[in-house]
Amino acid sequence: MWLPMKPDAMDAVFAALASRERRQMLDIVLAHPGCGVNQVAAHFAMTRVGVLKHLRLLEEAGLVLSEKVGRVRRLYFNAVPIQQIHARWSDRYGALFADHMVAIQERVESRNRQRKTNRA
Amino acid sequence: MPKPAIAKETSATQALFRIHIRGALQDVWDEITRTDDVIPCFFNMRMHAARLARGAPMQMRTKSGKYVGVVGEILEWDPPRRFAHTFRFTQMDDPPCKVSYELVPKDDGVEFTLRISELTPGTKSAKQMTQGAVMILNTLKAVIETGRPTLGTRALFALFALLEPLTPKRCRVENWSDN
Repeated sequence: MWLPMKPDAMDAVFAALASRERRQMLDIVLAHPGCGVNQVAAHFAMTRVGVLKHLRLLEEAGLVLSEKVGRVRRLYFNAVPIQQIHARWSDRYGALFADHMVAIQERVESRNRQRKTNRA
Repeated sequence: MPKPAIAKETSATQALFRIHIRGALQDVWDEITRTDDVIPCFFNMRMHAARLARGAPMQMRTKSGKYVGVVGEILEWDPPRRFAHTFRFTQMDDPPCKVSYELVPKDDGVEFTLRISELTPGTKSAKQMTQGAVMILNTLKAVIETGRPTLGTRALFALFALLEPLTPKRCRVENWSDN
């Protein structure tokens, strides 16, 4: 149900996501819409400049939107690029089965984790 | 797949969605503000407003005009850049939120931002608003860039039309005064 994304735009999204730190930053922004850079930086051992560099890449890829409110820069997660990528490789029926498979994987893995905890 | 270890914020009151559309600023503006026909990106509903100006009431009605899906009041009317209104689903008793459509010319087209604010966390409306937002952006992009919604979206509209008689009675147009 989505239009194809421009190749350059898609490259930017994959490059932005190809970093554990940046994926964690996206998690933080998604969980705390409107959070500031400092709030994100508090989760990482790197310098503020380092965090800003990562956030800039996420912003250039369209995954993070930022706006200045007074002196604070507020950050928001933008779901659109990920939806566009999802749609490219997943039709509606395929997505349904994929959803089921992910759900099965989650259930099995959490059961395994539970067993390990019980044994310990 | 391990879940991120960060709890989802429940006090969020604003969400932003942005897409780049290859098209003319005026075309995008006309598409989201028309009152003479259905608006595909707004779930094929028809905007009903006696006048398009700040303070004026507005509604989103089904294609047949028999049901009202959304009621609101125009908060900002600044053609062709900014349109904002309060937004309340007639099917729910949740408090209204605010939506704004912001258009900025960028590169070879328009950067279109949908801002949903004053959302009441945990409400059914909040969930529907955030889920519906990506579809609004995608359909608007498809309409401007290709002239019509994608096949999947058109199929969905056909389904909406079929299911219209199942709309709750409280949404019937006679229950919602338009002034």
